[in-house]
Amino acid sequence: MSTPPPPLSPTPLEPVANLEIKARLLLLFMLVLVCGSVLFVLYARGAFDATQRLVLMADDSEGVVVGMDITFSGFPIGRVRRIELADDGRARILVDLSAKDAHWLRTSSMFTLVRGIVGSPNIRAYTGMLNDPPLPDGAERTVLQGDANAEIPKVISAAKELIDNLNALTRSSGSVGTTLENLQTLTARLNGPGGALTVLLGSEQEAKKIAVTLDRANALLGRLDTIAAKTDTQVFGEKGVLPETRATIVQLNALLGDARTSMKKVDAVLQDAQAISTNAKDATADLGALRADIDANLRKIDSLINEINRKWPFARDTEIKLP
Amino acid sequence: MTSRDPLQRRFTQTSRIAQQWLTEWWRLAHLGAVLLVLALSPSSYNPESRKILTRQIYLNTAPILVGFSVLCALVTVVLTRIVLVTAQSYGLSQYALQVVIRVLILELIPLTAALFVALRCTIPDGAELTAMQARGELDDMRRQGQDPVRREVLPRVVAGMFSGITLAALSSMVALVVAYMAGYGFTTSGIEAYVRLSGQVFSPAVTLIFILKTLLFSLAVALIPMASALYGMRGLHGAGVRTSTEMRGLVRMFAVILLIEVASLVGNYY
Repeated sequence: MSTPPPPLSPTPLEPVANLEIKARLLLLFMLVLVCGSVLFVLYARGAFDATQRLVLMADDSEGVVVGMDITFSGFPIGRVRRIELADDGRARILVDLSAKDAHWLRTSSMFTLVRGIVGSPNIRAYTGMLNDPPLPDGAERTVLQGDANAEIPKVISAAKELIDNLNALTRSSGSVGTTLENLQTLTARLNGPGGALTVLLGSEQEAKKIAVTLDRANALLGRLDTIAAKTDTQVFGEKGVLPETRATIVQLNALLGDARTSMKKVDAVLQDAQAISTNAKDATADLGALRADIDANLRKIDSLINEINRKWPFARDTEIKLP
Repeated sequence: MTSRDPLQRRFTQTSRIAQQWLTEWWRLAHLGAVLLVLALSPSSYNPESRKILTRQIYLNTAPILVGFSVLCALVTVVLTRIVLVTAQSYGLSQYALQVVIRVLILELIPLTAALFVALRCTIPDGAELTAMQARGELDDMRRQGQDPVRREVLPRVVAGMFSGITLAALSSMVALVVAYMAGYGFTTSGIEAYVRLSGQVFSPAVTLIFILKTLLFSLAVALIPMASALYGMRGLHGAGVRTSTEMRGLVRMFAVILLIEVASLVGNYY
């Protein structure tokens, strides 16, 4: 057993100047500190704020805690004071709105309780018509709820379906696989001797035909070129068709001028002929009447002659000579 | 018969250890109750004891106030910056300051203030009392009709508690201010939002737990060194270094602090 250490000799106490005052100041400081902390916490909790009561009715108040803020345009305007069950089983959320910010809420204001994936739910207020009457004290409103977590199963289910569809597409016997195989064949054919032409026409023989056709077309084009050159000379050359045509046209113009003059004369003749024909028409009409008269007279004369012949025994030459 | 002897010896030893353990804890609790009653009794504050109390309060508090506040401010700046940057990288910067307030002011500051007071004030006070006990000064006081508990232990315990509470309160205020400046900078535009955020953190239950925790921490660090000095808690195997009074007192103090911390965490978050 080890021997205990020797007792320490007492150290003399150092005198402290103005000890009483300093100690009292320290006590005062501590009291101020503690009271200040208490007052700060009370102020921070809104104990000194004038408030107005708002009651929000929700189907589910999960995540809502006492002390949570209600925000308007991102600014906190009130706090949840109490959460309780209503008679109909819905949650009653009692909110104390700051009196200086309550004017932002109107009778037509909407309230939402939105749960994100991370963090606690948020209670938000929206006011569309700032000219509407202010929200009264103790007003009761239904809060619209949204839950991002509730969408997750739907998203997962949709994602699963999408993955299944993708699997079906990308399977070796699926459409993507088949398409890729065809693409491979196409690429092989493209890299083959016939190239893209074999792909388009289906076989090398057809591609060769096209090549032959192209050669023939080239030759034809060459000949057409020559023809075009000759035609150019013959049509547009010094003694070509075009200058001759031009000269012919000049002559034709002259002829047309003469013809125009002749036509004018003919026109005059026609006008005379028209007058003659009009006169002839009138004469024809008179002639008809004259004829009819003559016929009538001749009948009369005939009948007279016949009468005379009946009555005269002495036959004579019945021939009448007209003037 | 001989086979039963080791078992019997083991059983006797275990029961003695348990009895000693219970006795020590009972003495500690008893001393704490006595000191609380004495602290709340006006008769404890006669002019002579007030003089001693005043001296102890001043000597235990004033020298460490500024140093601890500065240390606290530095730790707050660093911690706030770390939390802010980390939260921003996860897109959770709106929760950063709340986390800082909860972790620093509710948990770290009361604990570090208590440990600081223990290291700088109450453990040396306990050593001083042990020396007085060893020199026989306490027995001399008893012979002179003075109660050494009221004369020597009470002022030290009260001063230790006062120091712990003052340090915790001041460093909490300093941490709040420094965290605001680290988060918002040297502007006043964020004060309203920050005050509101602090109000949300300090709910009635949380505030009550915080106050109780600070008081209990201060009591533990002030009382346990005094108890170990007065009652000389030794181990069964003699006064070796491992089982010396001071060591056991320290172990007991840390165990009590840990228990209080766990209880406060359960109360806050369970």
